[in-house]
Amino acid sequence: MTDAVLRADGVEKSYDGLKVLDQVSLDVARGQVKVIIGPSGSGKSTLLRCLALLEPVDAGAVYLDDERLSDLKERELAAHRSEIGMVFQRFNLFQNMSALRNVMTALVDVRRLPKREARERALEFLDRVGLADKADSYPEELSGGQQQRVAIARALVMRPKAMLFDEPTSALDVELVREVLEVMEGLARDGMTMVVVSHELRFAQHVASSILMMDQGKIIEEAPPQQFFSAPRHERTRRFLALVE
Amino acid sequence: MLASFDTHLFWEVLHSGPYWKGALLAIGLTCASLGAACLIAFPLALGRASRRRAVRALVFVYSWFFRATPTLLLLLIVWDVLPQLWRVFAGSWFTPFFAAFVALSLNEAAYMAEIIRAGLLSVDPGQELAGRALGMKRWQILRRVIVPQAVRIVIPPTGNEFITLLKLTSLASVISVHELLTAAQEQASIKFSFPEVYGAALVYYLVIVSVLMFLQSRLELRFTFRSRGRRATVPLPVAAHDAR
Repeated sequence: MTDAVLRADGVEKSYDGLKVLDQVSLDVARGQVKVIIGPSGSGKSTLLRCLALLEPVDAGAVYLDDERLSDLKERELAAHRSEIGMVFQRFNLFQNMSALRNVMTALVDVRRLPKREARERALEFLDRVGLADKADSYPEELSGGQQQRVAIARALVMRPKAMLFDEPTSALDVELVREVLEVMEGLARDGMTMVVVSHELRFAQHVASSILMMDQGKIIEEAPPQQFFSAPRHERTRRFLALVE
Repeated sequence: MLASFDTHLFWEVLHSGPYWKGALLAIGLTCASLGAACLIAFPLALGRASRRRAVRALVFVYSWFFRATPTLLLLLIVWDVLPQLWRVFAGSWFTPFFAAFVALSLNEAAYMAEIIRAGLLSVDPGQELAGRALGMKRWQILRRVIVPQAVRIVIPPTGNEFITLLKLTSLASVISVHELLTAAQEQASIKFSFPEVYGAALVYYLVIVSVLMFLQSRLELRFTFRSRGRRATVPLPVAAHDAR
Protein backbone atom coordinates (compact mmCIF):
# COMPACT_ATOMS: atom_id res chain seq x y z
CA MET A 1 0.00 0.00 0.00
CA THR A 2 1.07 3.52 -0.76
CA ASP A 3 -0.70 6.77 -0.01
CA ALA A 4 -0.84 7.59 -3.71
CA VAL A 5 -4.30 8.40 -5.05
CA LEU A 6 -3.12 8.18 -8.62
CA ARG A 7 -0.06 6.30 -9.74
CA ALA A 8 1.62 5.48 -13.02
CA ASP A 9 4.14 2.67 -12.98
CA GLY A 10 6.52 2.21 -15.90
CA VAL A 11 3.96 3.35 -18.44
CA GLU A 12 4.89 2.97 -22.09
CA LYS A 13 2.98 4.10 -25.11
CA SER A 14 3.79 4.16 -28.82
CA TYR A 15 1.98 5.49 -31.85
CA ASP A 16 2.99 3.97 -35.19
CA GLY A 17 6.26 2.75 -33.78
CA LEU A 18 7.09 6.13 -32.26
CA LYS A 19 7.62 5.92 -28.50
CA VAL A 20 5.61 8.73 -26.90
CA LEU A 21 5.88 7.54 -23.29
CA ASP A 22 9.00 5.71 -22.19
CA GLN A 23 8.93 4.07 -18.74
CA VAL A 24 7.04 6.88 -17.05
CA SER A 25 6.38 6.51 -13.33
CA LEU A 26 4.54 9.04 -11.24
CA ASP A 27 2.98 9.13 -7.77
CA VAL A 28 0.35 11.65 -6.82
CA ALA A 29 -0.47 11.60 -3.10
CA ARG A 30 -3.76 12.86 -1.68
CA GLY A 31 -3.99 16.64 -1.87
CA GLN A 32 -0.85 17.00 -3.95
CA VAL A 33 -0.69 19.24 -6.99
CA LYS A 34 1.76 18.16 -9.65
CA VAL A 35 2.51 20.48 -12.52
CA ILE A 36 4.01 18.99 -15.66
CA ILE A 37 5.94 21.15 -18.10
CA GLY A 38 7.89 20.32 -21.21
CA PRO A 39 8.15 21.02 -24.92
CA SER A 40 5.34 20.02 -27.28
CA GLY A 41 5.59 16.41 -28.30
CA SER A 42 7.26 15.44 -25.04
CA GLY A 43 4.31 13.21 -24.08
CA LYS A 44 2.57 15.40 -21.48
CA SER A 45 -0.89 15.13 -22.97
CA THR A 46 -0.53 11.44 -23.68
CA LEU A 47 0.50 10.84 -20.08
CA LEU A 48 -2.59 12.69 -18.89
CA ARG A 49 -4.83 10.67 -21.19
CA CYS A 50 -3.34 7.46 -19.90
CA LEU A 51 -3.93 8.61 -16.32
CA ALA A 52 -7.53 9.49 -17.27
CA LEU A 53 -7.92 5.92 -18.62
CA LEU A 54 -8.76 7.34 -22.04
CA GLU A 55 -5.81 5.63 -23.73
CA PRO A 56 -4.75 2.04 -23.15
CA VAL A 57 -1.11 1.68 -22.12
CA ASP A 58 1.26 -0.61 -24.03
CA ALA A 59 3.18 -1.59 -20.90
CA GLY A 60 3.18 -0.65 -17.24
CA ALA A 61 0.07 0.23 -15.27
CA VAL A 62 -2.12 2.99 -13.91
CA TYR A 63 -3.46 2.71 -10.37
CA LEU A 64 -6.29 4.63 -8.75
CA ASP A 65 -6.36 4.19 -4.97
CA ASP A 66 -4.04 1.20 -5.42
CA GLU A 67 -6.45 -0.52 -7.77
CA ARG A 68 -4.81 -1.52 -11.03
CA LEU A 69 -7.14 -0.13 -13.69
CA SER A 70 -5.20 0.01 -16.90
CA ASP A 71 -5.81 -3.67 -17.71
CA LEU A 72 -9.59 -3.48 -17.44
CA LYS A 73 -11.87 -3.94 -20.42
CA GLU A 74 -13.52 -0.92 -22.01
CA ARG A 75 -16.87 -1.79 -20.45
CA GLU A 76 -15.47 -1.86 -16.90
CA LEU A 77 -13.33 1.22 -17.47
CA ALA A 78 -16.25 3.61 -18.05
CA ALA A 79 -17.30 3.60 -14.40
CA HIS A 80 -13.75 4.26 -13.20
CA ARG A 81 -13.22 7.15 -15.59
CA SER A 82 -15.92 9.06 -13.78
CA GLU A 83 -13.75 8.97 -10.65
CA ILE A 84 -11.07 10.99 -12.40
CA GLY A 85 -11.93 14.50 -13.57
CA MET A 86 -10.46 15.66 -16.85
CA VAL A 87 -10.30 19.21 -18.17
CA PHE A 88 -9.26 19.75 -21.79
CA GLN A 89 -7.36 22.49 -23.53
CA ARG A 90 -10.28 23.19 -25.85
CA PHE A 91 -12.95 22.82 -23.12
CA ASN A 92 -14.97 20.24 -25.11
CA LEU A 93 -18.25 21.34 -23.61
CA PHE A 94 -21.21 19.55 -25.18
CA GLN A 95 -22.25 22.10 -27.80
CA ASN A 96 -25.88 21.00 -27.85
CA MET A 97 -26.44 21.53 -24.13
CA SER A 98 -26.79 24.53 -21.85
CA ALA A 99 -24.15 25.03 -19.16
CA LEU A 100 -26.47 23.44 -16.62
CA ARG A 101 -27.15 20.39 -18.78
CA ASN A 102 -23.43 20.02 -19.44
CA VAL A 103 -22.83 19.74 -15.72
CA MET A 104 -25.80 17.53 -14.85
CA THR A 105 -25.84 15.09 -17.74
CA ALA A 106 -23.26 12.61 -16.41
CA LEU A 107 -24.89 12.73 -12.96
CA VAL A 108 -28.03 11.38 -14.60
CA ASP A 109 -26.43 9.01 -17.13
CA VAL A 110 -23.48 7.71 -15.12
CA ARG A 111 -24.36 8.26 -11.46
CA ARG A 112 -28.04 7.51 -12.06
CA LEU A 113 -29.19 10.47 -9.97
CA PRO A 114 -32.81 11.63 -10.32
CA LYS A 115 -33.04 14.70 -12.55
CA ARG A 116 -34.13 17.06 -9.76
CA GLU A 117 -31.24 16.14 -7.55
CA ALA A 118 -28.78 16.28 -10.45
CA ARG A 119 -30.02 19.74 -11.37
CA GLU A 120 -29.62 21.02 -7.80
CA ARG A 121 -26.13 19.65 -7.48
CA ALA A 122 -25.14 20.97 -10.91
CA LEU A 123 -26.35 24.45 -9.97
CA GLU A 124 -24.37 24.28 -6.75
CA PHE A 125 -21.19 23.49 -8.69
CA LEU A 126 -21.87 26.15 -11.32
CA ASP A 127 -22.15 28.57 -8.43
CA ARG A 128 -18.84 27.35 -7.12
CA VAL A 129 -17.11 28.42 -10.34
CA GLY A 130 -19.08 31.68 -10.27
CA LEU A 131 -21.41 30.91 -13.17
CA ALA A 132 -24.81 30.23 -11.59
CA ASP A 133 -26.25 33.08 -13.67
CA LYS A 134 -25.06 31.42 -16.89
CA ALA A 135 -26.86 28.11 -16.26
CA ASP A 136 -29.10 28.49 -19.32
CA SER A 137 -26.42 29.76 -21.69
CA TYR A 138 -25.07 27.54 -24.43
CA PRO A 139 -21.30 27.08 -24.89
CA GLU A 140 -21.10 29.30 -27.95
CA GLU A 141 -22.66 32.12 -25.96
CA LEU A 142 -19.92 31.95 -23.31
CA SER A 143 -16.39 33.32 -23.34
CA GLY A 144 -13.50 30.87 -23.40
CA GLY A 145 -12.83 31.47 -19.71
CA GLN A 146 -16.46 30.86 -18.82
CA GLN A 147 -16.54 27.70 -20.93
CA GLN A 148 -13.48 26.37 -19.19
CA ARG A 149 -15.01 27.09 -15.77
CA VAL A 150 -18.16 25.19 -16.79
CA ALA A 151 -15.91 22.34 -17.93
CA ILE A 152 -14.24 22.35 -14.50
CA ALA A 153 -17.66 22.30 -12.80
CA ARG A 154 -18.72 19.42 -15.05
CA ALA A 155 -15.71 17.36 -13.92
CA LEU A 156 -15.96 18.41 -10.25
CA VAL A 157 -19.65 17.58 -9.90
CA MET A 158 -18.76 13.88 -10.19
CA ARG A 159 -16.71 14.27 -6.98
CA PRO A 160 -13.58 12.79 -8.56
CA LYS A 161 -10.68 11.44 -6.55
CA ALA A 162 -8.27 13.46 -8.69
CA MET A 163 -8.48 16.20 -11.31
CA LEU A 164 -6.36 16.28 -14.46
CA PHE A 165 -5.88 19.50 -16.44
CA ASP A 166 -4.47 19.39 -19.96
CA GLU A 167 -3.16 22.90 -20.72
CA PRO A 168 -6.40 24.43 -19.41
CA THR A 169 -5.46 28.02 -20.21
CA SER A 170 -3.48 27.77 -23.45
CA ALA A 171 -6.54 28.24 -25.68
CA LEU A 172 -7.62 31.34 -23.79
CA ASP A 173 -7.16 35.04 -24.45
CA VAL A 174 -4.65 36.53 -22.04
CA GLU A 175 -7.21 38.42 -19.97
CA LEU A 176 -9.32 35.27 -19.44
CA VAL A 177 -6.50 33.12 -18.07
CA ARG A 178 -6.73 34.64 -14.59
CA GLU A 179 -10.34 33.60 -13.89
CA VAL A 180 -9.60 29.98 -14.72
CA LEU A 181 -6.40 29.88 -12.69
CA GLU A 182 -8.25 31.37 -9.71
CA VAL A 183 -10.75 28.52 -9.78
CA MET A 184 -7.89 26.04 -9.95
CA GLU A 185 -6.05 27.71 -7.08
CA GLY A 186 -9.24 27.49 -5.04
CA LEU A 187 -9.42 23.76 -5.74
CA ALA A 188 -5.81 23.28 -4.69
CA ARG A 189 -6.45 25.14 -1.43
CA ASP A 190 -9.44 22.87 -0.76
CA GLY A 191 -7.10 19.91 -0.96
CA MET A 192 -8.01 18.50 -4.38
CA THR A 193 -5.49 16.07 -5.80
CA MET A 194 -4.40 17.50 -9.14
CA VAL A 195 -2.13 16.89 -12.10
CA VAL A 196 -1.78 19.96 -14.29
CA VAL A 197 -0.04 20.24 -17.64
CA SER A 198 0.61 23.96 -17.92
CA HIS A 199 3.21 26.54 -18.70
CA GLU A 200 1.75 29.06 -16.26
CA LEU A 201 4.89 29.16 -14.16
CA ARG A 202 3.52 31.68 -11.64
CA PHE A 203 0.62 29.34 -10.98
CA ALA A 204 3.06 26.44 -10.64
CA GLN A 205 5.18 28.41 -8.19
CA HIS A 206 2.16 29.22 -6.02
CA VAL A 207 0.31 25.93 -5.81
CA ALA A 208 2.47 23.07 -7.03
CA SER A 209 3.72 20.47 -4.58
CA SER A 210 6.27 19.60 -7.20
CA ILE A 211 7.04 20.37 -10.81
CA LEU A 212 7.91 17.72 -13.37
CA MET A 213 9.86 18.28 -16.53
CA MET A 214 9.11 15.98 -19.44
CA ASP A 215 11.22 15.53 -22.53
CA GLN A 216 11.07 12.87 -25.25
CA GLY A 217 8.57 10.70 -23.40
CA LYS A 218 10.45 10.70 -20.10
CA ILE A 219 10.16 12.58 -16.83
CA ILE A 220 13.67 13.96 -16.59
CA GLU A 221 13.33 16.01 -13.43
CA GLU A 222 10.96 16.43 -10.50
CA ALA A 223 11.40 18.94 -7.68
CA PRO A 224 9.45 21.34 -5.43
CA PRO A 225 8.91 24.73 -7.14
CA GLN A 226 11.55 26.60 -5.12
CA GLN A 227 14.26 24.18 -6.03
CA PHE A 228 12.98 23.56 -9.56
CA PHE A 229 13.16 27.22 -10.54
CA SER A 230 16.22 28.28 -8.58
CA ALA A 231 18.43 25.28 -9.19
CA PRO A 232 17.25 23.02 -12.01
CA ARG A 233 19.56 20.05 -12.19
CA HIS A 234 19.06 19.23 -15.80
CA GLU A 235 20.56 21.22 -18.64
CA ARG A 236 17.41 20.58 -20.75
CA THR A 237 15.22 22.05 -17.98
CA ARG A 238 17.39 25.14 -17.77
CA ARG A 239 17.16 25.75 -21.49
CA PHE A 240 13.39 25.20 -21.49
CA LEU A 241 12.78 27.55 -18.56
CA ALA A 242 14.83 30.23 -20.26
CA LEU A 243 12.51 29.98 -23.26
CA VAL A 244 9.25 29.97 -21.32
CA GLU A 245 10.07 32.86 -18.98
CA MET B 1 -52.21 37.41 -73.55
CA LEU B 2 -52.40 33.67 -73.39
CA ALA B 3 -54.02 32.17 -76.48
CA SER B 4 -56.15 29.83 -74.43
CA PHE B 5 -56.22 29.41 -70.68
CA ASP B 6 -59.48 28.26 -69.20
CA THR B 7 -59.28 29.57 -65.64
CA HIS B 8 -62.44 27.74 -64.70
CA LEU B 9 -61.04 24.41 -65.86
CA PHE B 10 -57.79 25.17 -64.05
CA TRP B 11 -59.62 25.60 -60.71
CA GLU B 12 -61.75 22.58 -61.37
CA VAL B 13 -58.74 20.36 -61.97
CA LEU B 14 -56.94 21.88 -58.99
CA HIS B 15 -59.80 20.81 -56.72
CA SER B 16 -60.42 17.45 -58.32
CA GLY B 17 -60.30 14.22 -56.36
CA PRO B 18 -57.56 12.49 -58.39
CA TYR B 19 -55.22 15.46 -57.82
CA TRP B 20 -55.83 15.57 -54.08
CA LYS B 21 -55.45 11.84 -53.76
CA GLY B 22 -52.43 11.83 -56.03
CA ALA B 23 -50.76 14.56 -54.00
CA LEU B 24 -51.49 12.86 -50.68
CA LEU B 25 -50.16 9.61 -52.09
CA ALA B 26 -46.96 11.31 -53.27
CA ILE B 27 -46.45 13.04 -49.91
CA GLY B 28 -47.26 9.86 -47.98
CA LEU B 29 -44.94 7.73 -50.08
CA THR B 30 -42.15 10.30 -49.80
CA CYS B 31 -42.45 10.71 -46.02
CA ALA B 32 -42.73 6.97 -45.38
CA SER B 33 -39.80 6.12 -47.66
CA LEU B 34 -37.58 8.86 -46.31
CA GLY B 35 -38.40 7.86 -42.72
CA ALA B 36 -37.64 4.21 -43.38
CA ALA B 37 -34.52 5.17 -45.33
CA CYS B 38 -33.20 7.11 -42.31
CA LEU B 39 -33.82 4.11 -40.06
CA ILE B 40 -31.91 1.82 -42.42
CA ALA B 41 -29.21 4.42 -43.10
CA PHE B 42 -28.25 5.10 -39.48
CA PRO B 43 -26.82 1.62 -38.78
CA LEU B 44 -25.24 1.69 -42.25
CA ALA B 45 -23.51 4.97 -41.41
CA LEU B 46 -22.25 3.53 -38.12
CA GLY B 47 -21.24 0.33 -39.88
CA ARG B 48 -18.91 2.15 -42.22
CA ALA B 49 -16.75 3.07 -39.25
CA SER B 50 -16.93 -0.40 -37.73
CA ARG B 51 -13.78 -2.15 -36.59
CA ARG B 52 -15.00 -5.38 -38.17
CA ARG B 53 -14.12 -5.77 -41.83
CA ALA B 54 -17.16 -7.91 -42.62
CA VAL B 55 -19.49 -5.13 -41.43
CA ARG B 56 -17.68 -2.52 -43.50
CA ALA B 57 -17.83 -4.80 -46.56
CA LEU B 58 -21.57 -5.36 -46.07
CA VAL B 59 -22.21 -1.63 -45.96
CA PHE B 60 -20.10 -1.14 -49.05
CA VAL B 61 -22.00 -3.80 -51.00
CA TYR B 62 -25.34 -2.27 -49.97
CA SER B 63 -24.43 1.21 -51.08
CA TRP B 64 -22.81 -0.07 -54.28
CA PHE B 65 -25.85 -2.18 -55.25
CA PHE B 66 -28.57 0.37 -54.58
CA ARG B 67 -26.71 3.29 -56.06
CA ALA B 68 -25.89 1.36 -59.22
CA THR B 69 -29.43 0.08 -59.77
CA PRO B 70 -31.74 2.55 -61.55
CA THR B 71 -34.72 3.44 -59.36
CA LEU B 72 -37.14 2.53 -62.14
CA LEU B 73 -35.58 -0.91 -62.52
CA LEU B 74 -35.65 -1.40 -58.76
CA LEU B 75 -39.39 -0.63 -58.69
CA LEU B 76 -39.97 -3.22 -61.42
CA ILE B 77 -37.84 -5.78 -59.63
CA VAL B 78 -39.70 -5.37 -56.36
CA TRP B 79 -43.15 -5.33 -57.96
CA ASP B 80 -42.77 -7.84 -60.81
CA VAL B 81 -39.77 -10.03 -60.04
CA LEU B 82 -40.21 -10.77 -56.32
CA PRO B 83 -43.71 -12.32 -56.67
CA GLN B 84 -42.42 -14.65 -59.39
CA LEU B 85 -39.50 -15.78 -57.25
CA TRP B 86 -41.28 -16.08 -53.90
CA ARG B 87 -44.96 -16.84 -53.53
CA VAL B 88 -45.29 -14.77 -50.33
CA PHE B 89 -45.03 -11.62 -52.42
CA ALA B 90 -47.96 -12.73 -54.60
CA GLY B 91 -50.43 -12.17 -51.74
CA SER B 92 -52.95 -9.35 -51.73
CA TRP B 93 -51.05 -7.61 -48.91
CA PHE B 94 -48.28 -6.78 -51.37
CA THR B 95 -49.87 -3.66 -52.83
CA PRO B 96 -48.30 -1.36 -55.42
CA PHE B 97 -47.97 1.34 -52.75
CA PHE B 98 -46.13 -1.03 -50.41
CA ALA B 99 -43.87 -2.26 -53.21
CA ALA B 100 -43.04 1.34 -54.12
CA PHE B 101 -42.38 2.10 -50.45
CA VAL B 102 -39.95 -0.84 -50.18
CA ALA B 103 -38.10 0.01 -53.40
CA LEU B 104 -37.77 3.72 -52.66
CA SER B 105 -36.71 3.14 -49.02
CA LEU B 106 -33.98 0.68 -49.94
CA ASN B 107 -32.76 2.96 -52.70
CA GLU B 108 -32.86 6.13 -50.61
CA ALA B 109 -31.11 4.52 -47.64
CA ALA B 110 -27.94 4.20 -49.71
CA TYR B 111 -27.85 7.98 -50.16
CA MET B 112 -29.01 8.86 -46.65
CA ALA B 113 -26.23 6.68 -45.22
CA GLU B 114 -23.64 8.96 -46.82
CA ILE B 115 -25.41 12.07 -45.53
CA ILE B 116 -25.69 10.72 -41.98
CA ARG B 117 -22.08 9.58 -42.04
CA ALA B 118 -20.95 13.06 -43.03
CA GLY B 119 -23.08 14.47 -40.21
CA LEU B 120 -21.55 12.15 -37.62
CA LEU B 121 -18.04 12.92 -38.88
CA SER B 122 -18.67 16.65 -38.62
CA VAL B 123 -18.96 16.46 -34.83
CA ASP B 124 -15.70 17.41 -33.10
CA PRO B 125 -13.97 14.27 -31.73
CA GLY B 126 -13.39 16.25 -28.51
CA GLN B 127 -17.11 15.84 -27.78
CA GLU B 128 -16.81 12.07 -27.61
CA LEU B 129 -13.59 12.31 -25.63
CA ALA B 130 -15.28 14.51 -23.03
CA GLY B 131 -18.17 12.07 -22.78
CA ARG B 132 -15.82 9.14 -22.27
CA ALA B 133 -13.85 11.06 -19.64
CA LEU B 134 -17.07 11.52 -17.69
CA GLY B 135 -17.69 7.78 -17.75
CA MET B 136 -20.53 7.85 -20.27
CA LYS B 137 -21.06 4.76 -22.39
CA ARG B 138 -20.73 4.86 -26.16
CA TRP B 139 -24.46 4.72 -26.88
CA GLN B 140 -25.12 7.42 -24.28
CA ILE B 141 -22.58 9.71 -25.94
CA LEU B 142 -24.10 8.94 -29.32
CA ARG B 143 -27.64 9.65 -28.20
CA ARG B 144 -27.09 12.67 -26.00
CA VAL B 145 -24.18 14.41 -27.68
CA ILE B 146 -23.22 13.25 -31.16
CA VAL B 147 -26.59 12.63 -32.83
CA PRO B 148 -28.20 15.95 -31.77
CA GLN B 149 -25.20 17.82 -33.14
CA ALA B 150 -25.09 15.75 -36.34
CA VAL B 151 -28.81 16.40 -36.99
CA ARG B 152 -28.05 20.07 -37.58
CA ILE B 153 -25.68 19.12 -40.40
CA VAL B 154 -27.96 16.42 -41.78
CA ILE B 155 -31.13 18.54 -42.12
CA PRO B 156 -30.33 20.61 -45.27
CA PRO B 157 -29.19 17.71 -47.50
CA THR B 158 -32.11 15.65 -46.20
CA GLY B 159 -34.43 18.43 -47.39
CA ASN B 160 -32.89 17.98 -50.82
CA GLU B 161 -33.43 14.24 -50.64
CA PHE B 162 -37.08 14.83 -49.76
CA ILE B 163 -37.53 16.88 -52.90
CA THR B 164 -35.73 14.35 -55.07
CA LEU B 165 -37.79 11.55 -53.60
CA LEU B 166 -41.03 13.47 -54.11
CA LYS B 167 -40.21 13.68 -57.79
CA LEU B 168 -39.12 10.05 -57.93
CA THR B 169 -42.52 8.93 -56.66
CA SER B 170 -43.85 9.65 -60.15
CA LEU B 171 -41.81 6.66 -61.33
CA ALA B 172 -44.11 4.52 -59.25
CA SER B 173 -46.75 5.05 -61.92
CA VAL B 174 -45.14 2.14 -63.79
CA ILE B 175 -46.35 -0.16 -61.05
CA SER B 176 -49.77 1.51 -61.08
CA VAL B 177 -49.41 3.81 -58.10
CA HIS B 178 -51.66 6.75 -58.96
CA GLU B 179 -49.70 9.63 -57.57
CA LEU B 180 -49.95 13.27 -58.60
CA LEU B 181 -48.15 13.23 -61.93
CA THR B 182 -50.00 10.13 -63.09
CA ALA B 183 -53.28 11.84 -62.23
CA ALA B 184 -52.18 14.87 -64.27
CA GLN B 185 -51.29 12.74 -67.29
CA GLU B 186 -54.64 10.99 -67.12
CA GLN B 187 -56.48 14.29 -67.00
CA ALA B 188 -54.39 15.56 -69.89
CA SER B 189 -55.30 12.60 -72.06
CA ILE B 190 -59.00 13.16 -71.30
CA LYS B 191 -59.21 16.93 -71.58
CA PHE B 192 -56.40 17.83 -73.97
CA SER B 193 -56.04 21.15 -72.14
CA PHE B 194 -52.39 20.88 -71.25
CA PRO B 195 -51.78 24.35 -69.78
CA GLU B 196 -54.56 24.03 -67.18
CA VAL B 197 -53.94 20.38 -66.34
CA TYR B 198 -50.14 20.54 -66.00
CA GLY B 199 -50.30 24.03 -64.50
CA ALA B 200 -52.47 22.66 -61.69
CA ALA B 201 -49.98 19.82 -61.07
CA LEU B 202 -47.16 22.35 -60.95
CA VAL B 203 -49.03 24.35 -58.29
CA TYR B 204 -49.22 21.24 -56.10
CA TYR B 205 -45.48 20.62 -56.33
CA LEU B 206 -44.69 24.28 -55.62
CA VAL B 207 -46.95 24.27 -52.55
CA ILE B 208 -45.59 20.98 -51.19
CA VAL B 209 -41.97 22.10 -51.55
CA SER B 210 -42.75 25.51 -50.02
CA VAL B 211 -44.26 23.87 -46.95
CA LEU B 212 -41.24 21.60 -46.72
CA MET B 213 -38.85 24.55 -46.89
CA PHE B 214 -40.76 26.30 -44.10
CA LEU B 215 -40.70 23.20 -41.89
CA GLN B 216 -37.01 22.74 -42.64
CA SER B 217 -36.11 26.24 -41.48
CA ARG B 218 -38.10 25.70 -38.27
CA LEU B 219 -36.30 22.42 -37.68
CA GLU B 220 -32.91 24.01 -38.30
CA LEU B 221 -33.70 26.65 -35.69
CA ARG B 222 -34.73 23.92 -33.27
CA PHE B 223 -31.28 22.36 -33.66
CA THR B 224 -29.36 25.60 -33.36
CA PHE B 225 -27.98 25.45 -29.88
CA ARG B 226 -28.58 28.89 -28.42
CA SER B 227 -30.68 29.98 -25.49
CA ARG B 228 -34.19 31.21 -26.17
CA GLY B 229 -33.58 34.73 -24.94
CA ARG B 230 -30.64 35.16 -27.26
CA ARG B 231 -32.50 33.70 -30.18
CA ALA B 232 -35.30 36.22 -29.79
CA THR B 233 -32.94 39.15 -29.76
CA VAL B 234 -31.15 38.65 -33.04
CA PRO B 235 -29.57 42.06 -33.56
CA LEU B 236 -31.53 44.17 -36.01
CA PRO B 237 -29.58 45.67 -38.86
CA VAL B 238 -28.35 49.07 -37.81
CA ALA B 239 -30.42 51.76 -39.48
CA ALA B 240 -28.51 53.74 -42.02
CA HIS B 241 -27.37 57.11 -40.81
CA ASP B 242 -29.88 59.73 -41.81
CA ALA B 243 -27.95 62.37 -43.72
CA ARG B 244 -30.70 64.97 -44.00
